[in-house]
Amino acid sequence: VSAPGPQVLVIEDEPQIRRFLKATLGARGYRVLEAPSGEEGATLAASHNPDVVLLDLGLPDIDGLEVVKRIREWSPMPIVVLSARGMERDKVAALDLGADDYVTKPFSVQELAARVRAALRRAALSKGDGETPVVAVGDLEIDVARHVVTVRGKRVRLTPTEFRLLATLARHAGRVCTHRFLLEEVWGSRNAGQTHYLRIYMRQLRNKIEESPARPRYLLTEMGVGYRLVDE
Amino acid sequence: MRSTPTAYAWSVLTTALATGIAYLLLHRFAPTNLAMIYLLGVVFVAARFGRGPAILASVLSVCAFDFLFIPPYYSFAVDDTEYVLTFGVLLGVALLTSGLMLRVGRQAETARLRELHTSALYRMSREFSRAVSRAEIVRIAEEKMGEILGADVWVFLPAADGTLAPAPGVTSAFPLAESEMRVAQWVFVSGRPAGRGVENFPEAGALYLPVSGTRGRVGVLGVFENEAKGAPGIERRQLLDAIAGQLALALERDALAEEAREAKFRLESDRLRETLLSSVSHDLRTPLATIAGAASGLIDGDRALDEATRRDMVLSICEEADRLNRLVNNLLNMTRIESGALHLRKEWHPLDEVIGSALTVLKRRLGDRPVQTRVAEDLPLVPMDGILIEQVLVNLIENALRHAGARGPIEIEAAERSGEAAGDREVVVSVADRGPGIPPGEERVIFEKFGRATRDPASAGVGLGLAICRGIVEEHGGRIWAENREGGGAVFAFALPVGRDAPETIEESEE
Repeated sequence: VSAPGPQVLVIEDEPQIRRFLKATLGARGYRVLEAPSGEEGATLAASHNPDVVLLDLGLPDIDGLEVVKRIREWSPMPIVVLSARGMERDKVAALDLGADDYVTKPFSVQELAARVRAALRRAALSKGDGETPVVAVGDLEIDVARHVVTVRGKRVRLTPTEFRLLATLARHAGRVCTHRFLLEEVWGSRNAGQTHYLRIYMRQLRNKIEESPARPRYLLTEMGVGYRLVDE
Repeated sequence: MRSTPTAYAWSVLTTALATGIAYLLLHRFAPTNLAMIYLLGVVFVAARFGRGPAILASVLSVCAFDFLFIPPYYSFAVDDTEYVLTFGVLLGVALLTSGLMLRVGRQAETARLRELHTSALYRMSREFSRAVSRAEIVRIAEEKMGEILGADVWVFLPAADGTLAPAPGVTSAFPLAESEMRVAQWVFVSGRPAGRGVENFPEAGALYLPVSGTRGRVGVLGVFENEAKGAPGIERRQLLDAIAGQLALALERDALAEEAREAKFRLESDRLRETLLSSVSHDLRTPLATIAGAASGLIDGDRALDEATRRDMVLSICEEADRLNRLVNNLLNMTRIESGALHLRKEWHPLDEVIGSALTVLKRRLGDRPVQTRVAEDLPLVPMDGILIEQVLVNLIENALRHAGARGPIEIEAAERSGEAAGDREVVVSVADRGPGIPPGEERVIFEKFGRATRDPASAGVGLGLAICRGIVEEHGGRIWAENREGGGAVFAFALPVGRDAPETIEESEE
């Protein structure tokens, strides 16, 4: 008998969505726990301590953001938010409250599974020594500790700010980083609001790393939310 | 006519001149006749310089006459009272003439003013008749009244709920206190003038007149006299009433035109709603029918279908669901644009990033189709709502995908150039394909709602995508257009103004 798969708590009020999530995630080896409301979700999270939470932001009883807050009071368990298009502000709010990532409805199962995998990976990493030594995706390799970035085996020369930005994204590889988070990590909190600095540096990074900066492969823009360094 | 020191100088000079002439004629004429010369001088001064100088002239004349020409010479001793009469006549003539001249002058001035006002009123009514909006009427009224009256003017118009408010755009120097607003409101309700110089609310700072048309009151006119005058004269009141009347007519005409426009718009929007309903229901039902059909087919014909067919059906379910999703997004966006609920969150964005993110959104649909991007390296940051401009690009690229054929290449370009107005810069982004191009004459229609090129079989999906693009781009103060390319295909392009004070790029050396 193989070890039981990771446990996923699905907090979602639409039974149809719960149904297909349960079926498809179950088929991929996850054990699925369901909660049709925010209150129940928060309670189940506390009692079962799942490996990852899928949280719909539009719940009937309490605000999804409130659920994020309650869970973050006691646990760093990965939370992936499910949200409709055009609700970028809510997504950013959830992420800034500590949610790990988001998927926009309607989503494909592949997309969702990728996010959940990434979230689990990061959770496992942060239980270890905490620091990501090397991130390797495709032809890109980032050695955060040694300050070395190579593309197709060739070393890329970065400015200190460019490197700090890339290293921050690399430490959270696969996960979306909000503008505010990046500004605080790279520039310190006093520059929050100067999002265009961030955009200028992202452009410079893309010009140095991407083969075709206008069709990025590694450094993706999540318009209205932030940036993501792909990790698979 | 106020007499200046110069006028008095003239009075003295004229008397001196009369004395000179009289002196020359002294030995040929009787003194009585010499008085006539003085009379002439006095009349001249009275007619030319008014009462004060005329009185001075008559006094001086009598003195000079008595001193020089009446024995005993060179003394004021008047033997007989004969010359008192001369003095009396001279003084009388002086007063009469100057009074007469004053009246004539006043009448001429009044006539001149009336003429001025009439032509100003005429000009105002002509401009009113050309005005196409309430705002313009108010602007003209304010401007012309400033010109005619030399006074600051407020125009008050009723809001939908009947409360009065100063017409927007009016920039009178006269501060509008709460108490003044109450007076204006009173005038609007009662239909009687109030404020400075009239019976009601004389303590108010301005004079408020009702602006009444044939269908009732349409507003209130507030006139603030710059000079601290009392009640405006009858002439001025008449003028003000005439202006208020013209303003009422203009406002009423505009209200009627507005009603007509609204009626036409209602008619059009009814027609549009009909088109929308039939179009939307068709476009919603098609993917739904495919999804329902394919899904039920998968349940039912489980054993009869081979693996490839099953996969095909599942794929079409996914594709049609995607299409439904896009349609719903488009409908939402269109509704937002139309209801004016599109609030731009402008930030400085590099266009290459927005292009990149649009291409990421469309990654699956693009597959391995050749996409060429040519983005100028030194493109400035452009102020825009990134999410919305990404939507524009997504819609334009999807549109190109629909027309480019299965493997047709798509070319995306972005470059800066000088804008339409001198000194302005703009960034132009274009999406080009090598499809069949746009039917001639439909280059504009395609940006209308449901204005998809009519005979084009390739355009499935509600014709909203391009209308949304136009709505978003225009909200940014930009332009969007389409044209056919040389060598076949179409190019869709939009231009966004490059804002001023773009943030600088930071220089930093590499490690």
